[in-house]
Amino acid sequence: MEFLKDLIFLINYLLQGTGVTLGVTLIALSMGFLFGTLLAVMRVYGSKPVARFAAVYSTLIRAVPVVVLIFILFFVIAKIVDLSPFLSGALALGFASAAYQSEVFRGAILSIPAGQMLAARAIGMSRLKAIRYIILPQAIRLAIPPWSNEAAIVLKDSSLVFVIGVPEILRRAQYVSARTLEPFIAFGAAAAIYFALTFLANRSLDFFERRYRILM
Amino acid sequence: MMVRAIIRVEDLRKSYQELEIIKGISLTVREQEVVVIIGPSGTGKSTLLRCINLLTRPDSGRIWLKEQEITAPYTDEDKVRQRIGMVFQDFNLFNHLTALQNVTIGLNKVLRMDIREARQKGLWELERVDLADKAASYPAQLSGGQKQRVAIARALALNPDVMLFDEPTSALDPELIGEVLGVMQKLAREGMTMLVVTHEMGFAREVSDRIVFMENGVILEEGPSRQMFYAPKFPRTREFLGKISELYGENRPGEI
Amino acid sequence: MKRRSSILILFIIATLLIAGCQQQAAAPEQGYLGTIKEKGTLVVGTSADYPPYESVDPTGSFVGFDIDLITEIGKRMGVEVEVKDMAFDALIAAVQEKKVDVVIAAMQASPEREEKVDFSIPYHFQKDAFIVAGDSTLALNSPMDAAGHSIGVQTGTIQEKWVLDNLVPKGTSENQIFRYERVDQGALDVAAGRVEILFINADPAQKMADDLGLKVALVTSETVIGGQSIALPEGETALKAELDKYINELENEGFIQQLQEKWGIP
Repeated sequence: MEFLKDLIFLINYLLQGTGVTLGVTLIALSMGFLFGTLLAVMRVYGSKPVARFAAVYSTLIRAVPVVVLIFILFFVIAKIVDLSPFLSGALALGFASAAYQSEVFRGAILSIPAGQMLAARAIGMSRLKAIRYIILPQAIRLAIPPWSNEAAIVLKDSSLVFVIGVPEILRRAQYVSARTLEPFIAFGAAAAIYFALTFLANRSLDFFERRYRILM
Repeated sequence: MMVRAIIRVEDLRKSYQELEIIKGISLTVREQEVVVIIGPSGTGKSTLLRCINLLTRPDSGRIWLKEQEITAPYTDEDKVRQRIGMVFQDFNLFNHLTALQNVTIGLNKVLRMDIREARQKGLWELERVDLADKAASYPAQLSGGQKQRVAIARALALNPDVMLFDEPTSALDPELIGEVLGVMQKLAREGMTMLVVTHEMGFAREVSDRIVFMENGVILEEGPSRQMFYAPKFPRTREFLGKISELYGENRPGEI
Repeated sequence: MKRRSSILILFIIATLLIAGCQQQAAAPEQGYLGTIKEKGTLVVGTSADYPPYESVDPTGSFVGFDIDLITEIGKRMGVEVEVKDMAFDALIAAVQEKKVDVVIAAMQASPEREEKVDFSIPYHFQKDAFIVAGDSTLALNSPMDAAGHSIGVQTGTIQEKWVLDNLVPKGTSENQIFRYERVDQGALDVAAGRVEILFINADPAQKMADDLGLKVALVTSETVIGGQSIALPEGETALKAELDKYINELENEGFIQQLQEKWGIP
């Protein structure tokens, strides 16, 4: 009974970090989505230097550990722009996710038949309009399954923001573990929360995928 | 009587790398005229159509759409394409949009027509190709013939000056060809100016005003369809017409 | 774990190189101390996973020996104390970049750290401990007896450096060194028999050994170079003088002794 009470207390304590975890994840994912889509479009449809830039960005950022990106934002960029640790962490994860998402969307764009672009141009759409109204809506739908994978990764990577002092779920589990010397319980509870979040996210993405599936 | 030219092509040339696909073609399509281009595959018929609506840039030569020279520098290509309808061999319907949305998206996003007006016009265009009942269907739910008719409605919606058809029935099962040719014939009767690449000899003979025979990137012979069918000048034209009629059949039961 | 922290250290060095410009302080004669007094808050960096020095209690407050000490120092300076928690590896960079004003984290003033930040006088001298499994027959009469045995340390600590400087030349191979983000992870590995020795600060050692059925094989000061000090930005002599003054005061008043007893620190 005592144990159960402790466990409820522990989970409640960890859940207070869920807001931070979700906040970081949502900011990073949305930023990665916007920026990643743009990079993918630049890469597929851009002129040589533009496509090259997007490719180099993607390769470079994916080669750098996310923790290092967090440090760069927190210690270097935050000197110029006023960034809280929370924002530094969220933006760093966003820049990283943009690189990964750009690969996801690039693959999806390339799998759209060339005739779609041709037909869009033939009814007088500019390239930009064709991308916006014809190519991307189809590519994004195709990208949902790999994208949900990326979402799960970002959710877990969000724990990295603790290095600059943002107390999310995992850091809270560390506090408890250091105090109680019961790491299995502390981290087990954290794992359960991550699992629940990932599960919910995957289920809702599955729903969107079914809802907006394109028959080909 | 001088009927005005809708499309005028002058000494058009186009190469891909070393390979010259179009070797100097001049061609005029007049208002309300239906011109059919025939010829063996790989002779540049599709390339010619793509050059005319600027999907492909010719290397040299000039093209006019009505009075405007569209090969001139600083031409707004998107504006030009709005005025030229194009129908592709493999339909290229937008897969994520319903039949109606396929027709209205150009009205809404290109011509900036408001949604309700575009919808009305879209339904009317679908009615024209006899598909109003399929307005809410997605391309994957349509047969090949229905897809091609939606594609025709999509092009018609923008009220083009001329319609280009690039082998519109080549990807269709034989039993579905008739419905597409039927729509095209109806368009021709309504006075639409059309330039059609096809192997359908029945359509060529019954509907077209003029037949252009292309081979190896040049126009070998052109003339009124009756003359081309019954008294071609060149033995090569006669040979090709004979072969193609044998291959595709000249008459399709029930149609044309 | 190993790789991540070496990248971190590399990166901290890199930021040092990039960080050319330093902000100007408000009152020139007091330097950064003036800035702190002006804003009325002392921002303190720590890594709150190291009881009894610093940890988080069930209500979410920062507690521990270091926290009590810096709170008292802040009171005497006439400023509020605000604690910011981050990874131990990030603390030095945080002081350099003025993300925090000072760091109190049971940190010793190593020569490497001295190159990047300044330190107050030590407020506490501690010992190191070698922990082994409860049924271990390993005899450790001096620290050097640990050479050649697998040994666990916390990443980025003085203990890790001591192992590299002293045990590695005497026959401990690189893959016998196990680095942990937190000491309790190491203690669990010793209990599980994956590592023979855990080499950590002596203060948490006895409690940890009792909790997990391990034994403290040796407590020594031979491995300790300096005491624990408060880290502060480089060249801020007025701030250092202020911190040193209060540490001396508190030492003389017996306040630090009281804190040691309160937190069970030898």
